[in-house]
Amino acid sequence: MKTIAPKPKYFLLAACMLLISAQISPSNEYKVKAVFLFNFVQFVEWPSKAFAEKDSPLVIGILGENPFGTYLHETVYHEKLTGHPLVVKQYENVKEVSNCQILFVNPDNIGELGSIAEELKQQHVLIVGEATEAFMKRGGMIGFFLQDGRIRMKINLESIKEADLKVSSKLLRVADMYNNKQ
Amino acid sequence: MELALSNTLCAFFRYNNGNKSHRFYFLIIFGLFLCVSKIRAQDMASLSPSELKKLSIEELMAIEVTSVSKHPEKLTEVASAIQVIRNKDIHRSTATSLPEALRLAPNLHVAQLNSYAWVISSRGFNTLYANKLLVMIDGRTVYTPLFAGVFWDAQNVLLEDVERIEVVSGPGGTLWGANAVNGVINVLTKSAGETQGLYASGSVGSMLRNNQEVRYGGQIGDNFCYRVYGKHFDLNHTVQADDQDVADKWGLYQGGFRIDWELSKTDNLTFQGDYYIGDEKTVPRQTDFDGQNVLGRWTHIFSDRSQLVAQAYFDRTWRRMPTISFALATYDIDIQHHFSVGERHRVMVGVGYRLMQDDTQNYTTAAGILPNERDMHLFNGFVQDEISIVPETFKITVGSKLSHNIFTDFEVQPSVRITWTPDKDHTVWGAVSRAVRTPSRIDVDYYIPTNPAPGAPQVAGGPNFNSEKVIAYELGYRVRPAQAVSLSLATFYNVYDDIYSVEALPGTLTYQIQNGSEAQSEGVELSGNYQAASWWRLRGGYTYLKMDIRNKPGHDFDPTILANDAEHRFLVQSIIDLPWNLNFDLTARYTDKLPRVVPDYFTFDARLAWSGENVELSIAGQNLWEDKHQEFGLIEIPRNIYGTLKCRF
Repeated sequence: MKTIAPKPKYFLLAACMLLISAQISPSNEYKVKAVFLFNFVQFVEWPSKAFAEKDSPLVIGILGENPFGTYLHETVYHEKLTGHPLVVKQYENVKEVSNCQILFVNPDNIGELGSIAEELKQQHVLIVGEATEAFMKRGGMIGFFLQDGRIRMKINLESIKEADLKVSSKLLRVADMYNNKQ
Repeated sequence: MELALSNTLCAFFRYNNGNKSHRFYFLIIFGLFLCVSKIRAQDMASLSPSELKKLSIEELMAIEVTSVSKHPEKLTEVASAIQVIRNKDIHRSTATSLPEALRLAPNLHVAQLNSYAWVISSRGFNTLYANKLLVMIDGRTVYTPLFAGVFWDAQNVLLEDVERIEVVSGPGGTLWGANAVNGVINVLTKSAGETQGLYASGSVGSMLRNNQEVRYGGQIGDNFCYRVYGKHFDLNHTVQADDQDVADKWGLYQGGFRIDWELSKTDNLTFQGDYYIGDEKTVPRQTDFDGQNVLGRWTHIFSDRSQLVAQAYFDRTWRRMPTISFALATYDIDIQHHFSVGERHRVMVGVGYRLMQDDTQNYTTAAGILPNERDMHLFNGFVQDEISIVPETFKITVGSKLSHNIFTDFEVQPSVRITWTPDKDHTVWGAVSRAVRTPSRIDVDYYIPTNPAPGAPQVAGGPNFNSEKVIAYELGYRVRPAQAVSLSLATFYNVYDDIYSVEALPGTLTYQIQNGSEAQSEGVELSGNYQAASWWRLRGGYTYLKMDIRNKPGHDFDPTILANDAEHRFLVQSIIDLPWNLNFDLTARYTDKLPRVVPDYFTFDARLAWSGENVELSIAGQNLWEDKHQEFGLIEIPRNIYGTLKCRF
């Protein structure tokens, strides 16, 4: 349980991103979703091989346009998980995705997901997005949806197991299960 | 004679020596054991990362993230003069009762008459028997058909569990029931799932002598949530100008429950009820009142585009005043269905039936209600279509309510509403509506005296009294000029016809209640929210009202007694988070002079609170500017200082 301070470069990266998108404030919906992403870090267990080193960062990636503005950066700023500092990275397309532990897929980019979902599973990436049928079918693991104006989650346990990830029962209890065979 | 009538009406609210001591004991037993769940429903202003990160998954899932609510009528309400008091606004005020919480709505004129009587109205006609407002608590209508007004002392809720209070000034569209002439107050409590765990609160103070509240919310299985609550308070007397005791102390015990049961993903059942009993010092003997109600509501979602709500309730209320007693049983059933037709139409239809059975006892022959009993049947139906002319940008809402009541038969209340939303930060809306205030018992069945000698002066009811009518023209603008600022401006011009009067039949001393007055009013309601800093939030507003009431041609009555309204009103609430878990909150208000001899006043409430993990300690002061002030009559409302300890587990 060794924790270390974030390396300067990650701090710089975060600071730059803060500056770049300082003007963008997301809707409440995405603020809460950003904090959900942060919480997943605590409720999901990655195999140790998911990280290159004991102190390599835990990367929350965003595929496609970033709906969180700077909010996700602010949320994970200075946070770490058992030695892994949390950082946010943005990917324009699937080819850029590498070495990330959580990937939030913008609904516009779901089409690209199918081609690399299997590869992402090999890399133990938790794939998060909006719980559309298309997303869940293409390997999406946790999908958000709105009910009564509140955020709820669908979990595809099968996909998660294929990625060798473990999800805490705390999270499973509050989420709906998605079944591939549906 | 008009004055006599007015005075007798005042007697409903009269004060003076009664006797002390509560005769009622009300035992509330709660299990203080069991698991201690900490889901505190969150409604937060800024949603800063540090705040949100403190929350559990369950708490995050309880946050409402969409500003447009699940109820489709919300969309049309946005295009109306709606102002919302949220739980977080109440929590950060000094309010300990529903009327005090309503003070936080800038578009309401809230005046405290004495310790237990309040007069509340929007857009004018505020009097002791203010009768142009529809008031609902969780879907249950609480204005009394005795005088179409509200006995505010009997309307109590656990403010901790209130989700929000919507205050619509103006006719409020087609959907609301009869009586929504000048406004609608809609009090909504949180679902049982959002009020889990134990909450206990105790206060002691000067005007608020004591107040205790307990609530426990639990869950059985995955889909069944419940809460039970109890409360009791004692309020001190108000004073005369010479500081003499007005002798209007009062107290109340109340308990209740709410169950929310998610039968399936598409079906929700709500079941709730309350019981209350209270007494007030009045002359020549005290006033007693009590009431019980139960309500069931079933919500079924057919699809994203179609939802059905069916609701039924029973409400019994009883009040024995010095001159009259009034028992009322209300049975009500309502069904509403909304659905989309194509891409452009959102339709809402509803039908309802209400039976109100009253039993009135007159203790004096000087004045009273005759006959003693009435069965009042009310049928109503409505249809509304919200038409998107240009999707997301321009829409027209047309609708009408059709109702049938025993006094005036059919009433039609149509409205047309136009909304233009050029972008998400600007909304311009306009509306024309017709609304009616249907007769109440005091309009039709009121006699002075009840056994008149032939030829002697008398008031002989209002056998021909018709509904009071308004045509309301409204224009409004909502804007969010910056992320931290939202402003709403609503203007209106109302033309009233067939307003109440009491006039002699030609050539006799027999007076009858008639529709001999007419009126016009115009006004401006400005309200806003401003997040000045992450630790400082401001909300408030300004209201201007100009009333002109006069006789209709050929009628002779003094209609000025029908209104007692302030021309200018201001309200500012300041909510500050200080370091060390301290809160410092202020609410200041100014109310212009009232025509019938109440001087203008300024005053403010303040609150300093410290909150720990499960505990909140606060000291609060109400009406701090002066040691006492008048709000509506000659009685003076004293300053109130109280301390509160709240625990939440």
